[in-house]
Amino acid sequence: MSTTTAAPTAGHHEDVDTVGRRWRLGVGFIIVADASFVAAMLFSYRYLRGLNTEGAWVPHGSATAPVWSSWVLAAGLVISAVVFRWGEKGIRDGDSGRLVLASAVGVLLLLVVGVGQVVQIASFPFAIATGAYASSMYLLAGANLFHLGLTLFLGLAMWNRARLGRYSATENWQVGIVWLWWAWIALAAVFSALTTSFIASPAVGG
Amino acid sequence: MSETEPVTVQIRTWWQRVEIKRIVWTWLGLTVLLTIFALTVPTRLMGPPASPTMRAVESTMTVFSVAASAVMALVLAIAVYSLIGWRSRGSEPPIGDGPPIRGNGRVTVAWIAVSTGLTMFALIWGLGEMQSLSADASTPNAMVVNVTGQQWVWTFSYPQNGNVESEQLYLPVNRPVVFHVTSKDVIHSFWVVQMGIKIDANPGEVTKTGVVPDRLGTFDVRCAELCGLLHAHMETQAHVVSSSNFAAWITAQERRAS
Amino acid sequence: MSTLNTEPLLGIPAAGGGLMRRLNVVTAAGGGLVLALVGWAIARHFMLADDFGPDQVTVITMVCWAVGFMAGIGAFNGPIGWLRGRDLTSEDELFLAGKDQGIRRYFRFTTDHKVVGIQYLVLTMVLFGVGGAMAMLIRTNLISPNSNFLSPQQYNAIVGLHGLIMVIATIIMVTGPFGNFIMPLMIGARDMAFPRLNALSLWMIVAAVPILLSATFLGGIPTGWSGYAPLADQAPPGMDAFLMTIIIFAISSAVAGANITTTVLTMRARGMTWNRTPIFIYGVVASVGLAIPAFPMFMASQVLLGLDRTMGARFYIASGGGSPWLYANLFWLMGHPEVYVILIPAIAALMELTAVFSRKPLFSFNTAVLGIVGISVLSVMVWAHHMYVSGWAPNLNGAFMLTTEMISIPTGMLFLVILGTIWRGRIWTRLPMMSTYAMLWNFIIGGITGLYLSDVPVDYALHGSMFVTAHFHYTLMGAGLTGAIGALAYWFPKMTGRMLDERFGFISFWLVQIGFNVTFMGMFAVGLAGQPRRVYTYDNLLATGNFVSTMGAYAIGIGMLFLLYAVFSSWRHGELAPSNPWGSKTLEWTVPNPVPLENFEVLPVVTSDAYGYGEEPFEPFEGPPRPDKLEPAHVGSSADEDSTEGARP
Repeated sequence: MSTTTAAPTAGHHEDVDTVGRRWRLGVGFIIVADASFVAAMLFSYRYLRGLNTEGAWVPHGSATAPVWSSWVLAAGLVISAVVFRWGEKGIRDGDSGRLVLASAVGVLLLLVVGVGQVVQIASFPFAIATGAYASSMYLLAGANLFHLGLTLFLGLAMWNRARLGRYSATENWQVGIVWLWWAWIALAAVFSALTTSFIASPAVGG
Repeated sequence: MSETEPVTVQIRTWWQRVEIKRIVWTWLGLTVLLTIFALTVPTRLMGPPASPTMRAVESTMTVFSVAASAVMALVLAIAVYSLIGWRSRGSEPPIGDGPPIRGNGRVTVAWIAVSTGLTMFALIWGLGEMQSLSADASTPNAMVVNVTGQQWVWTFSYPQNGNVESEQLYLPVNRPVVFHVTSKDVIHSFWVVQMGIKIDANPGEVTKTGVVPDRLGTFDVRCAELCGLLHAHMETQAHVVSSSNFAAWITAQERRAS
Repeated sequence: MSTLNTEPLLGIPAAGGGLMRRLNVVTAAGGGLVLALVGWAIARHFMLADDFGPDQVTVITMVCWAVGFMAGIGAFNGPIGWLRGRDLTSEDELFLAGKDQGIRRYFRFTTDHKVVGIQYLVLTMVLFGVGGAMAMLIRTNLISPNSNFLSPQQYNAIVGLHGLIMVIATIIMVTGPFGNFIMPLMIGARDMAFPRLNALSLWMIVAAVPILLSATFLGGIPTGWSGYAPLADQAPPGMDAFLMTIIIFAISSAVAGANITTTVLTMRARGMTWNRTPIFIYGVVASVGLAIPAFPMFMASQVLLGLDRTMGARFYIASGGGSPWLYANLFWLMGHPEVYVILIPAIAALMELTAVFSRKPLFSFNTAVLGIVGISVLSVMVWAHHMYVSGWAPNLNGAFMLTTEMISIPTGMLFLVILGTIWRGRIWTRLPMMSTYAMLWNFIIGGITGLYLSDVPVDYALHGSMFVTAHFHYTLMGAGLTGAIGALAYWFPKMTGRMLDERFGFISFWLVQIGFNVTFMGMFAVGLAGQPRRVYTYDNLLATGNFVSTMGAYAIGIGMLFLLYAVFSSWRHGELAPSNPWGSKTLEWTVPNPVPLENFEVLPVVTSDAYGYGEEPFEPFEGPPRPDKLEPAHVGSSADEDSTEGARP
């Protein structure tokens, strides 16, 4: 089953736990890479805000986005992650039905957050070219949307595969890994909301 | 080497080994050659310095090169000797292994200690230099010259001298000058070659560098950051003249402007 | 092989039916072209005819090419099958691993690490060929002042493309071919941890190559490989090729890095403790370990550039609150670790083979590990030495001088290890070992010149001059590429089953090394004399130095052609290699040539490290066959055409 799909030894059976640990480590490294990318984006926001080159971080007369909207989206992601976690715990107890339900609800929540994210972008009171702050907001929102898309794929896969009975109390390492990723993107959204809560530059520009 | 003998005896017996002698002599010979190279070549290539800054640069190059000579000579001496004294002749495989030397604590510690020492030396030398150069550049009565880079021309203006503008840089000798540098478009880099100063010209920012030109003559000003099609041609000249000639030039420029 | 289970497991249907069996590089290119055309047509129809239109169309077309290519090679079949609950059977896995496919497995999404290794080797050679040809054009233009061989636009574009191609090629040149083919064998594993991700990493780079080369027709990359903003903002669509290539390459590297690191951490043979793990493995892991956090920073810098160029974002535009310093920081946060990503595996490979060709244990294994770790850790703390003159933070220049100069300490440790290994050894001066000596010469020069540049006042004089260009060529090419060539000569017998022709190998070696030193010594000279870098013409006073450099470059070019010839002809007609021609003690030499699909009949159990020279009884070994004892070349080569096993193409 899923052991041998993951095993690099085409047909040589490997212990499920070994394969699971190996994949968890690999996905951990992928998360490190993604975290580095997120860190780069958040660093860009902070750095440009600190420099306020030519006073154009938020150019005179232009509007800023309401801070609460990012927090609402982040909260939505956190809830979806918690829901999925409930499902992951369920499968570890052998309850496949709980995983199916949790995945379905999680995916729905992702869709809601996704729609919300698009609405947030569409209703930004500035264009991407308005200034560096505006560009950064579009960037972070777009990156969040990208994370959402990937997680949506994973969530759908979890729902479908759980529905087909691919997971059990002894064979569920893939669910654990999806949870790891899901938790990460929720955390990334929280970091993003936190960073973008500080708007006005401390530096006098120009 | 027997571990029970006193260190001095160990070193003496070690030194008496033929291969050690040959390596050490090779090392000394190469050090001499490389030191001669270090003392002559870099400064000759860099040319006569036109400021204390450049003098410091050239002396650093020389000092670092001399220090590096011994290091490079050691690496080469061992490498060269190995090809003569330890080589397994022919293209057939060797007919035995070498001695199972897994390591040598003393050598390793000594090596790391020496390299740390050399690094500290370079660091302290560099920090000292930076200290004295920044002291030079921040003298209060420094003349200010605004430098503007744009694709692909340097423009200089003299705010303290009637805002005279020019595409040639004129400077009075022995007078500290501070350059306020910026760009109108992309990143350029303001480089006065023989004075050893360089600072980027960034759009939206003003960067500063200072120097005391202490030699009369004409020197090269080049752009040191790829800035587009004609980056290779973004150069002009710095003329270091006596104070009176400088004043005369300013007056002439003011008259031309009015 | 008879122990393999080929039954579909638990009655679950095979993934994708026969689709995977029909996909290969041709369908990939077809898929890429089709989707690119569709994307281009739709984009052109809808894109506003404003400043950003051409870049939007270009980027969309390139994205469509990449996605279409990956779909056409079958990269999405696995994930989509997984989502649908259709997992691979053992039979599928064997097919993916290239069983019974002969030469065709090299043109497919094949998971066998040995196939991926060979694919990386060919890819690397192609990249070096193109990048090298560009170098010849650059030096020809610089043969005299105002040669008018190339226009300024052509020159700048070629410099940019040469730089990026070479950076990519040097990053993958050791970890690609040898990190893939050799590393799992060396640790006693049957494959990598994630074989399908392995194939994915490779094919992503293949997908990126046409994008990279398309810059030639899109106005070129006028910024040099570092792509500094805001010059990059105003550049023609060739810059979009630049940023797309990097984005794809960064993802490929992150995936490859996760794969290699997980493999080494979790799949070493029983008994292979860290003390018994060969130093080459440390080098490869350190390299990808650096790449995993560093390359996403580079990717971020390019995503921001892409947004500036396609949508008018203001990340790097000063008038909009953006800053070129943001670009520089993001770029160099990657850019400095990246040079150690390039260098460490090459030096580690040389350390590995030096022990073999000195018939001695690696001198002070712990110091070697400490050196590699020390370089890796420090390398993330030095980036702003590239920005001493930028003015971004003059007060930090001293701190970066400190960290940068400190790197010479762990670097010196690696010299100690190599010299200590050579010390009183039985030096067997075959082609692989010659690379070690060349590296010692080139790297000491590269390292010392790096010390000059790390000194802030000296850097004020030398930054942005040809001195810098010469310094990094001495380290990345003189040490790095030389190490990669040594690795190739060393592991060629295991990867191809034949010996690399040493006559042409030696001719190549001397032409390249002498040519190299002539070229770049000349460059140090003109740099000290004040020639900026990336200039298509220069002051008349610098003519001699430039002429000399160009002559040296031609010698390198000819030498590389000899190497290329040696590789091609040896691969096809070379002397058949015994399974351990060098008498090495690492695990990859215990498997026969050609290497079986499963690598090891029985996974090895390790009881000692691989450096027991002089400690274990010496077993005389036959060594490579002598040319006069050569078997007729056609015996063996045709018989293996349809071989079911292993690496022989």
